[in-house]
Amino acid sequence: MAPVLVWLILFLCLLISILKYTFALILKWSVSGATVKKDYTFQPTVSVLMPCFNEGKTVYETIESISRSDYPNHRFEVIAQDDCSVDDSYEWMLKAQRDFSNIRVRVGRNTANSGKARSVCNALQHSTAELIISIDSDCIFHPDAIRELAACFSEPKIGSVGGRVGVRNPNENAITQIQTFIYYAAFQVYKVPENWTRSVGCISGCLFAIRRDLLLEIEPKIRSRHWFGIPVNQGEDRFLTHQTLLRGYGTYINNDALCWTTVPSTLAELFNQQLRWKRSIIRDLFYTLRTLPQHVWSLHPNTVLTLVLTPLGALLGLLVVLTMLSGNPMEVAGPAPLIVYLGIGAVLGFVIRKYSAREAVNNPLAFGAYLGWTLISSLFITTLALCTLDSRDWGTRSKEKEQEASESDAGGQESAS
Amino acid sequence: MPEDKKVPANAKPSVIQPMLYKSVVTIYRIFAIVTLYLVLFGVLAYGFVMGFYALNTSWAAPVILSPADDKSLDFTEKLVTSRQTLEDLNVDMKRLQEGVAEMNKHRAALVALEPELKAAIVREKQHNLATGPQLLELDKQKQADNAKTQAVMAQVREVEATINKDLAAGLITKGDAATQRAALNQAESTYTDSKIGEILLTDSILEKTTTDTKSLDVLDKQAELISEIAQLDIAIGVAQKQIYEETKQINMLKQALTTAKSTPYYLSVSGGSAVNFAFVPYDNQGSVSVGTAVYDCYLNMVACKKVGTVKQIFAGEEHAIHPIFRTDIRGFLIQMQLDHTESAKSKTVFLNRKPLFF
Repeated sequence: MAPVLVWLILFLCLLISILKYTFALILKWSVSGATVKKDYTFQPTVSVLMPCFNEGKTVYETIESISRSDYPNHRFEVIAQDDCSVDDSYEWMLKAQRDFSNIRVRVGRNTANSGKARSVCNALQHSTAELIISIDSDCIFHPDAIRELAACFSEPKIGSVGGRVGVRNPNENAITQIQTFIYYAAFQVYKVPENWTRSVGCISGCLFAIRRDLLLEIEPKIRSRHWFGIPVNQGEDRFLTHQTLLRGYGTYINNDALCWTTVPSTLAELFNQQLRWKRSIIRDLFYTLRTLPQHVWSLHPNTVLTLVLTPLGALLGLLVVLTMLSGNPMEVAGPAPLIVYLGIGAVLGFVIRKYSAREAVNNPLAFGAYLGWTLISSLFITTLALCTLDSRDWGTRSKEKEQEASESDAGGQESAS
Repeated sequence: MPEDKKVPANAKPSVIQPMLYKSVVTIYRIFAIVTLYLVLFGVLAYGFVMGFYALNTSWAAPVILSPADDKSLDFTEKLVTSRQTLEDLNVDMKRLQEGVAEMNKHRAALVALEPELKAAIVREKQHNLATGPQLLELDKQKQADNAKTQAVMAQVREVEATINKDLAAGLITKGDAATQRAALNQAESTYTDSKIGEILLTDSILEKTTTDTKSLDVLDKQAELISEIAQLDIAIGVAQKQIYEETKQINMLKQALTTAKSTPYYLSVSGGSAVNFAFVPYDNQGSVSVGTAVYDCYLNMVACKKVGTVKQIFAGEEHAIHPIFRTDIRGFLIQMQLDHTESAKSKTVFLNRKPLFF
């Protein structure tokens, strides 16, 4: 009975996914209401908050790319907040502050390693701008990114806007090639139905714009986030998106606001990143389920579906793989799933090459390997995520020295210039 | 998960809550560590089991053949049908054989009659050949005699006129005249009989010198006799052919029944649960022979003990689902002589040797 139930739920998830993607494509090509009305004359003051931990020279490149933004220089600033990096990240920040004098760059440092979420909050203390853009310190930004994000806020009910995250290193190896496909499909297709109802479930922390008032309202919640007394430092992007929605604001992804991130190129890095994301998904699911009536009454049904089904599908993947392995393990060895994945890879490869040449993947058939990764992800990452919800590390960042993280919100700024 | 509970800035620090949280986290961590080790162990065990069954060539999967399962029911149905057919064929064979015997007897009688008929015809023919010319001669003589008699009859008519004259003249009495006339009539009547005799003689000559209808009737009878024998020959031939075919069919059915009796399904139907079988994939064929030891193992691979021997190997191909990989595999069945009947319910048993030497 149990396997039948699992397969039934999986079938429903697949059906919903297929419908969602089909609907997304229809919306993308034919419904103008799916995109937000952008007003480029709307140019609020902007603070770009850049929390950083052990990024080295990359932070310099990130600030450099922001300094080239096509936005009035006097209307935006960069606030870089170092979370006690053990490498030379802080020095690179200071160098960027000196080198890019065309814009205002403030550099701050936490007194103790506090995690990304609290670093964002600490950076926020220095901001007086109307619009806050939180970015990842390992990304490169398109000159239009700030302008594109700001233009979306002309719609008064929009609370948070995200940009499209592209891959900087698409052809480093098969791992990055696969991620290129996933990133592209997620932003160009999967988010479209959510965009239609202004209810994107998770705006990527790589490029996250939010109204200052709204962020200030949510900030105490970010700071007090904990899991049975253990501070939660991960998944602030999902948390922020979720809180935006619960406060009656819309969330949106503007695919014209571009940034590029360096995706993990080793299985270990990818595993850690995915583990961090999955923890965030699970936490968010528990939160959604705990407050489900509030969600059902106050949010758009599509939002509720997005917030429930997406993480539920991730959890069900574990049950599906377990059922499959205990029932008929050789079924996964058949050619059908591989053919499907190779087909998806070929189509996506063609589309990316045509519409986003910078991310063109040399070997689209590498997507076939995603089948194996799906099994590993469903079986191990989900289990590990469920068993390590008390984790508070940065995920993909390595620490040369383990530093004691402050359980309280002790992450103040050592300096801010 | 209380991840977003806000603690008011002026709230008194609770003593219970941190303890509660610490307890929950401690329990969670213990649970998580145990779970992760279980997962790790599960993954390693799963991998080992997969590898073990991919490489092992001595396993067999015990099969309990229920008389109620589809194959057994199908087999029983076919067995009953075959037996019924055999019985019907035997009855039919007996009937055919009796029929052939009867036809042979009838044929023998007919065949025996035929030469007698032939001899009678020949004899008659020969007799006719002899008497025909004689009668022809006699006929000629008769005709001559009649011609003479005819001349005499003319004289008789003159005598009658004389009698009439004498009577009228009173020379003779009426009585004498009547007596004389009667003698004349007698002579005329004899002449007429002689004429008739001549004609009848002609008929006899015709009969004896030509093929008359009576002879044709006899020949017809002879032809009928020959035809009847021929028909009997055909009927006997058909019946014998049918007997031959049915004999072949009976032999084949008997052979099929003999073969069926040596299948596991027959043994299952006739022997009940006392007979134990196992499926052996072709890959593991090398490990099985009659008398080979059968081992049953704990967790399907360790702590094995000998539970019996291989009693019989069945020739027919069988299909089964791999107990671990769940794929369709080809192989054959064996009969096991089990000392521990519980082993018949194990997922797998091992033949010839313990799979991991313990």
